[in-house]
Amino acid sequence: MTTAPVTALPHPEDQELIDRIIGDQAGRPGALLGILEKLQEHNRHKYLPMETLEYVAARTGVPQSQVYGVATFYALFNLDPQGTHTIAICRGTACHTRGSRALLERVKLQLGLQETSDGADKVSLTTPDHRFTIRTVACFGQCALAPVVEVDHAIRGHVKEQALIREIEQLRKESAR
Amino acid sequence: MTEKVKVRIDGEVIAATAGQTILEVARANDKYIPALCYMEGLSAVGACRLCMVEVAGVARLLPACTTPVQEGLSVNTTSPQLHSYRKIALELLLVERNHTCAVCVSSGHCELQSLAQEHGVTHVRYPYNYPKLGVDTTHPRYVLDHNRCILCSRCVRTCAEIEGAHVWDVAGRGIQSRLVSELQRPWGEATSCTSCGKCVQACPTGAMAEKGWGVEEMTKRRTVVSRLSSMREGM
Repeated sequence: MTTAPVTALPHPEDQELIDRIIGDQAGRPGALLGILEKLQEHNRHKYLPMETLEYVAARTGVPQSQVYGVATFYALFNLDPQGTHTIAICRGTACHTRGSRALLERVKLQLGLQETSDGADKVSLTTPDHRFTIRTVACFGQCALAPVVEVDHAIRGHVKEQALIREIEQLRKESAR
Repeated sequence: MTEKVKVRIDGEVIAATAGQTILEVARANDKYIPALCYMEGLSAVGACRLCMVEVAGVARLLPACTTPVQEGLSVNTTSPQLHSYRKIALELLLVERNHTCAVCVSSGHCELQSLAQEHGVTHVRYPYNYPKLGVDTTHPRYVLDHNRCILCSRCVRTCAEIEGAHVWDVAGRGIQSRLVSELQRPWGEATSCTSCGKCVQACPTGAMAEKGWGVEEMTKRRTVVSRLSSMREGM
């Protein structure tokens, strides 16, 4: 999480995009959520940079603290750049009993990622080369398929360590090309 | 538009105005209901769960600060069950952060501490959370200690509703919730802060304090916010 004070404005092109997305929505109650969602979608690394949040606050008149509160409350918003490929590992009860912790540890080992020490129950880690993001999910609602892993928005059931590692290596090879 | 209603609080019939909350009516009539997140003059959020009361005909407990009165409403403000629930709520507040009264500027003038004493909280039945939390000393006059924060959001509402600056808000979710100024900027660098200090006066614990006070020395002017708010209503 970035804590450095922000003074920079977003890139002029981005400013134009933000202005367009905000459009006439500014001032409409509850507009912030939709604005932030669209902005994150349009971001190349699928995240909300601090400059963007600051600019949104200035443009919509919503206090900065409130914008930050909304952006940190919802799990769907990322404040850090995300990887090209997203691997979401379910840590729900059913998946836990079917070995999702070992799966998570194995993937972390494979990608050389380490747990951040902020003690969050939700894990969201990105490799330094921004190729992979691994995150945990509370439950996909597919408990019969436990353990469940979502690779780039496609659900995989009954996931085995070896199969998952192979898939990750496959993705790595493809994106290296 | 001021419809008068009759309500019963602890058996006593009290005349109230429709739209008032149970807590407002009770306080106006010297009936005591404990509360931490409620402050006269601010909007009610029902966050601390200490003002829970029994309402006749309602199976569950209701927060007095957000429940409006109705004609014929009968409220019980004390019972062994309520006492035990309030005690649990207090214990959970105490285990969540690092509340060490012995080294706190607000010891002896702390609402959380006095409520705990009042409810006979001599120990807590839950394991302490011991989160690693920071202290923001960047503001020249005030200090924010997250270890003592109970997330009552009185400072948030004071700043947003009374001062109009909205420097504070609660970020994150669940156990990860933290009070933040602006975009998690240090308090001293928050450009929208007017350094009025009303958030400090509104804080029930030692989480926000003026600099320069030692242990037990920080007393707060609790009525500042309510007085300002009532003066504005009169305008």
